[in-house]
Amino acid sequence: MSAAASFDTDRKIIERYTDQPAWLPARVRAGIEEDFAGDPVQLYALADLDASLNLAETWVALGPNRIALARDEDDAHPVVRSFPRTSIREVRLEPGLSCSTLCFLGDPDEPALARVRFTHRQRRAMENIQFVVEQQLDGRGVEPRDADDVYADAVAAPVRDAQALVASNDMAVIWRLLSYLQPYRGQVAFGMVSAAMLTLLSLVPPVLSGWIIDNVVNPVQQGSLPIDEGLRRAWWGVGAIAGAYALRQACAWARLRWMAVLGENVARDLRTELYEHLQGLSLSFFSRKKTGSLITRVSSDTDRLWEFLALGVVDVSLSVIQLVGLSAVLITIDWKMGLVMTLPVPVLCWVTFQQGERMNRIFLRAWRKWSRVTDILSDTIPGMRIVKAFNQEEREKQRFDARNRDVTDEFNALHRVWTTFWPILMLFVRGMVVLVWVLAVPRVLGDSPAAVTLSSGDFVTFLLLMTMFIAPIDIIGQMARIMNRATSSAHRIFEVLDTQPQVVDQGDPVRLEPVQGRVEFRDVTFGYDGVRQVVRGISFVVSPGEVIGLVGPSGGGKTTVTNLIARFYDVTGGQVLIDGVDVRDLDTGHTRRQLGMVLQDPYLFHGSVVENIRYGKSDASLEEVIEAATAANAHDFLCKLPNGYDTIVGERGHTLSGGERQRISIARAILHDPRILILDEATSSVDTETEYKIQEALDRLVADRTVFAIAHRLSTLRRADRIFVVDEGRLAEHGTHQELLAIEGGTYRRLCELQQELTGSRDAARPKLTPIEGATT
Amino acid sequence: MTKASSQAVAEGEKGAEPGGLRLWRGHDGRLWGRATASDDARSVRVCRLFPWSQPSEYVSLRDAEDEELALVHRPEDLDATSREALEVSLAEAGFVMQIESIDAVEEEIEIRTFSVQTSQGPRSFQTERDEWPQPLAGGGLLIRDVAGDLYAVPDPDTLDARSRKLLWVFID
Repeated sequence: MSAAASFDTDRKIIERYTDQPAWLPARVRAGIEEDFAGDPVQLYALADLDASLNLAETWVALGPNRIALARDEDDAHPVVRSFPRTSIREVRLEPGLSCSTLCFLGDPDEPALARVRFTHRQRRAMENIQFVVEQQLDGRGVEPRDADDVYADAVAAPVRDAQALVASNDMAVIWRLLSYLQPYRGQVAFGMVSAAMLTLLSLVPPVLSGWIIDNVVNPVQQGSLPIDEGLRRAWWGVGAIAGAYALRQACAWARLRWMAVLGENVARDLRTELYEHLQGLSLSFFSRKKTGSLITRVSSDTDRLWEFLALGVVDVSLSVIQLVGLSAVLITIDWKMGLVMTLPVPVLCWVTFQQGERMNRIFLRAWRKWSRVTDILSDTIPGMRIVKAFNQEEREKQRFDARNRDVTDEFNALHRVWTTFWPILMLFVRGMVVLVWVLAVPRVLGDSPAAVTLSSGDFVTFLLLMTMFIAPIDIIGQMARIMNRATSSAHRIFEVLDTQPQVVDQGDPVRLEPVQGRVEFRDVTFGYDGVRQVVRGISFVVSPGEVIGLVGPSGGGKTTVTNLIARFYDVTGGQVLIDGVDVRDLDTGHTRRQLGMVLQDPYLFHGSVVENIRYGKSDASLEEVIEAATAANAHDFLCKLPNGYDTIVGERGHTLSGGERQRISIARAILHDPRILILDEATSSVDTETEYKIQEALDRLVADRTVFAIAHRLSTLRRADRIFVVDEGRLAEHGTHQELLAIEGGTYRRLCELQQELTGSRDAARPKLTPIEGATT
Repeated sequence: MTKASSQAVAEGEKGAEPGGLRLWRGHDGRLWGRATASDDARSVRVCRLFPWSQPSEYVSLRDAEDEELALVHRPEDLDATSREALEVSLAEAGFVMQIESIDAVEEEIEIRTFSVQTSQGPRSFQTERDEWPQPLAGGGLLIRDVAGDLYAVPDPDTLDARSRKLLWVFID
């Protein structure tokens, strides 16, 4: 999604879901900028609680030199109070349950410059202001991007991250969805014609039945038609009814088959388009969206659309036609009885709709209680060792039993409601039938032949057509639900499809063949949002084949540096160059094929070991696979597995230990043979022996490649040619191990000393084992 | 001792009893305290240990480095000045919006939107569909929205009939 589209989306979210302005009101902005002597508002946030903790609207605005607090008062100039940024000595955030306070503190002997209170909804926007002021206090300048954009992004983020945007028009979404039928318009036409024929043919048996009674049965019984002729006509009529039924079922078959296949094809097209689009999206999109939510969009949502396209579209449209047609036919046969049947139809549709709404509420309540049952299961089954260790089986049984009974009561209530509703509805419909009988009987029998105003055949036709009223009423009653479900799913799918990747190749990108491995950062700055910079002006040059160790405190920016080399994100300032070419000018896919990664938590896909090792080079021979696994110290443990290299590793490789997964991921990287290699904490969280094996494998892997190795354990950096210390987004120190140790008070030296202390205290704390006499090992 | 704390100590010494925990509100609007008369004054924030089951007891006072200055078992045991200063901070730190009536609850794709009237004013907020309101020990209900704000319904039975009907799905 472009920046402008993203801002537009955020603004719509704020307008639709919150009770606050989507941007700083123009009058307030003008008042503040007047106070700032014409300087622009660089950043702003809303303090939505006053000193008495009532909801309020006070704006906190940051200018180049001053900070203002402003509120708009009816029919008056906005009230603005401001103070210079240079008068701030400290800015402190005091978090609470729902009220946080941001204090701007000035001279120690003076009252606070300002204390603003706000709910969590405003917290991100306030933290942006806090961040910029703190940077200023640290002597760093920050140039935030567009103030409206940053504010909208911060306020909309919680809702945006929780769900797809539902701000666009529902009918527009339905039309867009129906456009997916375009490639299948022949099948759609066939399905619609089949459905229309089905409806028409359903009318034939009742009409023919009435004709047989009026033109065969009655005349034969009255003696006005010879029995032979009567039989001939009757058999023709019965044959026609049989033919109509057969043709009707053929149409039903064609309609179901065609539309089901059609819906499936459209769902397949959507799934393919969605998945292909997801593959092209930037990592920032995946960090915003929950994995479960994306999986649901590709699976359940496309399935819901199948239901809508295969059945909903035709069923709903034909039900409307069927009800209108039936009403017309009944009124034509007899307007009084026709009105008896048709007038209550809107009421019945409304009652059915209301019933659906009621059922939804009851179902929601039952669902809530059902989640309490599953909560216990997801708590206790993985934690069964603890339950048993603390002897809490009885307590858990009672807890489960109580909730199980509770949810059963809710489902029983649900069953009571629908099992009561339908018999009552049917009783009402039967009542209408009885009323028709009451009206019809005097007219069918009459006091005399002249008084007979309704033929028995018409009456039978009428009775049979009446039975066809129920199904369309049911469908129309559910129409709102069907449409709602379909638009909901379509919104979620289209949100993904409308998101544009943030990392896009230029036209005619450069292909480096081969990549030499020279990496250069030129005054690189980067921030995940528009305010906080996690990389600040880093510059370095790494020669091909050099091994660089990246160290520093957590959150200092080490992983971000490697993400920028891999171009998972684009820099916000400066340049990242590979072999002298800006990565934004390179063919990203082609470059990434010459870049490898071994991560802290090695990710294996569901499938065999051999498939996982071959992931980056699917045409590798088995000899190459074994060679890579041997170099990665994985061959020996793979030989111990009953199924060897064909062992299925299970979802995310959970059937293997952490060290085993890591060695397979190293084999994968060796086979991929990258020119630039990124190792992200590859030996953390494994035991010493495994670490040794992994380190040995890594030594083979890093040979003749440019390597960036992130490590917390400094001992793992013994092969590094140079070490970069990244702290608070800056390249704090760089040099060889010895050079960095020589820096008095240096970060690297301090980290080394800390680790040595830790190792020493761990050794001292380790119990001394005295051999037991006579014991054997 | 910093200039700030010396000023804050001067504030706290008014009517202070030697030996015990003293709390007061500084000129800067923050809560200040010292554990004993000989300690330096520190600005502290309050942390309720049991915000729902025992809201008026067990308050941890923590300084800027997140070290505990003191654990107050019962605020009413403090002297009047300290208690008053602590209560103001407790009100801010423990603030949650109180729902007085519910205008609408709308189910959407992945979220649920509540439109409510609170003691603090009208408010619309969203919860995730699976984020159910939590029953409170005292019989009330606590709702957490997607931003992390909390909304309390102290006694659902006292709400108007329409609000109770809308809330029926979420209470036992």
